Amino acid sequence: MIESKHSGETLWALLKRRAVSRRDFLKTCAALTGMLGLPPAALPAVVAAAETKPLPPVIWLHGHECTGCDEAFIRSQKPLASDIVLNLISLEDMEVLGAAAGEALERHHHEIIAKYPGKYLLLFEGAVPTADGGVSCMVGGKPIAAKLRAAAQNAAAVVAVGSCAAWGGIQAARPNPTGSVAVSEIVGSRPLINVPGCPPIPEVLTGTVMHYVLFGMPPLDSKRRPLQFFGNRIHDTCYRRAFFDSGMFVENFDDKGAKAGWCLYKVGCRGPVAYNQCGSMRWWNGLSYPIQSGAPCVACAADNFWDTDPFHQRLPNISLPNTIATADTIGLVAAGATLAGVTAHGLLSVAQHRRHKEKDRREGEQNE
Amino acid sequence: MHEGKLREYHVFSGATRLFHWVTVAAVGVLFFTGLYIGDPFFIGAQGIEPTAAVKRVFSMEMMRLYHFVAGYLLLASCILRVYGWLISKGDRLLPRFWTRHYWEGLADTTLHYLFLRPQHRPYLRNSLARTSYLAVYVMLLIQLLTGFALYVMINPTSLAARILGPLNHLLYGEYFVHLIHHYVSWFIVLFAIVHIYMATRADWMEKGGEVSGIISGVKFYREQPEDLDDLK
Repeated sequence: MIESKHSGETLWALLKRRAVSRRDFLKTCAALTGMLGLPPAALPAVVAAAETKPLPPVIWLHGHECTGCDEAFIRSQKPLASDIVLNLISLEDMEVLGAAAGEALERHHHEIIAKYPGKYLLLFEGAVPTADGGVSCMVGGKPIAAKLRAAAQNAAAVVAVGSCAAWGGIQAARPNPTGSVAVSEIVGSRPLINVPGCPPIPEVLTGTVMHYVLFGMPPLDSKRRPLQFFGNRIHDTCYRRAFFDSGMFVENFDDKGAKAGWCLYKVGCRGPVAYNQCGSMRWWNGLSYPIQSGAPCVACAADNFWDTDPFHQRLPNISLPNTIATADTIGLVAAGATLAGVTAHGLLSVAQHRRHKEKDRREGEQNE
Repeated sequence: MHEGKLREYHVFSGATRLFHWVTVAAVGVLFFTGLYIGDPFFIGAQGIEPTAAVKRVFSMEMMRLYHFVAGYLLLASCILRVYGWLISKGDRLLPRFWTRHYWEGLADTTLHYLFLRPQHRPYLRNSLARTSYLAVYVMLLIQLLTGFALYVMINPTSLAARILGPLNHLLYGEYFVHLIHHYVSWFIVLFAIVHIYMATRADWMEKGGEVSGIISGVKFYREQPEDLDDLK
């Protein structure tokens, strides 16, 4: 088990104990300020918080998930994942990074909850299956829903890590056989931060945790996502936006537009509905992100994004027997059918009207 | 049936007539620019300098601008329609479902359109037409709500986004709001086709000035229309 024995210590005290110079501490704070999306003027506040705010113990649980979020997290570059685990937070309990396993880890989990009630930060990764009593995901012989509920009860705050935890993710995609739900539906009114993404950008996750550590709850939007990371659409921060505005689109993945790096909107890019930091922070130390490598965004941080397939088309297919059609095809056919229908109705109306008038005229003649 | 003097009735107020024509223009622009935004099919800008966006009349940037301007116009005209409803007795918004007259008129008009009756009784607005206008008001409302819910998200921290943004999550996600907006626009076009046909047909059959009525506000009847109470 990775057990950092510094729960309750401040960052500054911790670094001092590790013989880190004041200068390096200030450099760390400057890097944190930038990562949190705060203005340079906020640096003194970050320093002050790092000197006084005790680092909370962190419990990181795993539900119905693929460990992809962990894979992304351990590739966090600024700060390095090892620094976060060993220095910045005190990660007390995490199944996939813990040296211990089984009963030892379970026991430790309960000890931490008992030792720091109301103080620890609970990170939860993955969806929570609820169908059939939650048997689709069992940890330590109990449904994960029960473990989450118990752990969330005394948590200072809960962070839903990844799209599965934030929305339900692929487990909750239609037809959702396991009845998977988002963490928010289990923890009720506990303070909750959603950090969606499949996986979330590691720096976004660590930034959110550090914001909580230093300043408490970050400003959230209506879906409880931190505004500094999810406040903009990828579309609005995309470096290919100029091509969109000019109407210069990739039509096929092998055309000259694709080669020239034009907008991927027509091959299904979901950038216009994706709220994330890919356009500005990017991945792997700012190296790239899907759109930059020529792949349309699938809006992996959006709710129910798995149900928006096919990902490489702007409009989804509507399943009709023996054919593939989009809304526009069906609309055109319906408009044509309506036109034909009113034309036929019009012709019949003319016929009926003439006959009726003829009858009127004859009756009029008879009356005379 | 041809006895009686042709009398004129002021059916549509100025507000409603203006609403009608502004809506026609706005919906026309919205539909075609919307089709382009949903699936850009003009390839005129291919190979042009990307910074030329605002200069080219058919660039995506400009198409979106036209769409948003027309969207605001539609909103304004719908407000005008509500204003007309408030100030003018004839500009009713809802059919009177609760009256016997509504249901009798509905049956009468439906039988006529099915060729089972050679003519229907004279109405200022028949029940079927009123019902279809209610449907189109509902569709316009859906389009306005979903359209602005999508539009305000260009600045997700704005006050408007705080009010309308949650609608995107309520309706299963922002992508699905795009789809709803797209599907409903087609239904409005289907309504328009049937509406133009019905108005033209009524004008030709009844000679009551159905088509010119939405310009002049006046319709003509020899017999007293059954729903004359609507004007009072």
